[in-house]
Amino acid sequence: MAARRHCNRVYVPDSGFVVDYLDLIDAVQSVADGVLFGATYALLGIGFTLIFGVMHKINLSFAAASIGAAYVSLLILAGFKAPAILVFLTAALAGGVIGALVYLVGFKFIPLANPLATLMSTVGLLLLIDEIIVHSTDGVPLNYPALFSDVIIPAGPFNIRGDLVFVFVLGCVCMAVLLTLLYRTKLGLATRAVSQQPVASQLCGISITRVNLLTFVITGMVGGIAGAMTGAAIGMLSPLLSLPLTVKGLIVTVIGGLGSIPGAIIAGLVVGGLENFFQFFRGVTERDLYIMLLLFAFLVFKPGGLFATSAGRD
Amino acid sequence: MDFYLGLAQIIGVHTLLGLSAYCVLLTGQVSLAQAGFFAIGAYVAGMLTVLAGWSLVPALLISALVSGAVACAVGFPALRVKGLMLVVATTAFGEAVRLFFFNFTYQIQAGNLKLGPHGGEGFRQIRYFPENGWSTLDVVIFIWIVVALVMAALWWLDRSRAGAVLRAVGEDELAAQSSGINITAVKVSAMTIGGLIAGIGGGIFAHYTTHIEHIQFGVVLATFAIAYPILGGLSNVFGTLLAVIFIQGFLIEGLRFMGDWRNLLFGGLIVLAMNIRPRGLLDAGTTRALKRLFSSGKEPSGA
Repeated sequence: MAARRHCNRVYVPDSGFVVDYLDLIDAVQSVADGVLFGATYALLGIGFTLIFGVMHKINLSFAAASIGAAYVSLLILAGFKAPAILVFLTAALAGGVIGALVYLVGFKFIPLANPLATLMSTVGLLLLIDEIIVHSTDGVPLNYPALFSDVIIPAGPFNIRGDLVFVFVLGCVCMAVLLTLLYRTKLGLATRAVSQQPVASQLCGISITRVNLLTFVITGMVGGIAGAMTGAAIGMLSPLLSLPLTVKGLIVTVIGGLGSIPGAIIAGLVVGGLENFFQFFRGVTERDLYIMLLLFAFLVFKPGGLFATSAGRD
Repeated sequence: MDFYLGLAQIIGVHTLLGLSAYCVLLTGQVSLAQAGFFAIGAYVAGMLTVLAGWSLVPALLISALVSGAVACAVGFPALRVKGLMLVVATTAFGEAVRLFFFNFTYQIQAGNLKLGPHGGEGFRQIRYFPENGWSTLDVVIFIWIVVALVMAALWWLDRSRAGAVLRAVGEDELAAQSSGINITAVKVSAMTIGGLIAGIGGGIFAHYTTHIEHIQFGVVLATFAIAYPILGGLSNVFGTLLAVIFIQGFLIEGLRFMGDWRNLLFGGLIVLAMNIRPRGLLDAGTTRALKRLFSSGKEPSGA
């Protein structure tokens, strides 16, 4: 308790409700950083939403796989001095491969009518991926390269960190590509068809296994980029990141509305911003408590999320 | 010997945790809030024996009631949603409970010691067993009596009308609702029973470890709680017990000689088990086969 009081005195002025100008700037700055970092949460939320949309299954190993992909991308740095952008691309590719493996090991051979079994198999995969990381790195966090980390854009009284802006822009690009893929291509049409009416789409000649596999590959790539973005924004990678990211990704999915990509994007940015907001005013130990309570309130009063799709026939 | 007694304690307490999730899973709901109820039970029972000087059994009863009441209160809003939403809602609740205890400090001065929960440092000195001269063996016997009582109660529940109602909701909500079952009431009751059991389990856990910390009650514990019944199968309570012995006894303790590789194998074996036996280790088919085996063995001697 004493320690926290001390913390508060550093951040929040004792003058009660009158927050002076400098503190206000600090608060806005920290929320803005959070919103930029929220792009990571948005991408993770999209991954969960897409897999749930197509298979009506939860893939709890998704965030762990994303972190795993980011780790794999570090391997090419070990070989030669690769530019950071190449590292990001490798992360995306590795994410796709891991996504396919997750589908084959955790979903392909388990009967669809049994949601508990796939839930459990993805939990097993989450533990497995985490342990593979711990095993191959001896549990030591690794540094991750960032782009534009030395650039600081001054904007009035605020300073915008170049690496966070890069992460944010990259996230936006990913989302745009993903939306185009889903709404402008044949594959996207097939994916949406399977998510709405699996039996009918099968009758139209769509191979469900193929669509599911491709969904896992695509979400895996998105996850790989999200993992790399997390690494770049934090500056390092650790297997300890995977559980908090899983929880945050699920929260974003639910607040945004299940199956809604715009919802996941907005919810990701909002959660990122709020996280830093609470951290600024209440300290790091209480930060997540408020996020959880907010989510709980959301589920009680607006269970469909921000952008609930109207319940389809199924 | 102490090693095996310690293992028996862990298996007993985790069986209680698994059974609390088993009740909720029977109605087809996946709740990751069990670790939260377990934490509430642990802190409440610990505070009652350490700060208020109660004896263990009434403290456990109160901790069970508190956890059950919280579970009931959480059940109403949480069970309005299902599937992924419920997983997330219950995860959020469990994490909120954990973070509450992370920030919760309530200490009293006792001699030159400060007793009670102390935020991030946790709750030390829950010394009820050593102070009252319980040996490790006494504790093991006590835990397993509780486990046996809970398992017997659930076994009986399974065979009563109430158990049939729970399973009906789990199998097909729509059909259950059509035949006049109030599914909200059923789900909330299952959640409450789960909370009661988790509260007892948490209370015992606090006393045999003597030191509890918020980090012990995180998402990992919640995942374990649902892993036991799912891995063991939902056809009866022994599936959960079998899975706890498999995970705690074999995967965690039995494979210790493998060093680092054990953790790798842990996740891998769970994935493998779900691929081979998607309905759990002890599913309905195996139970029937076992029953036939035993009854055919009996027939000649009985005749």
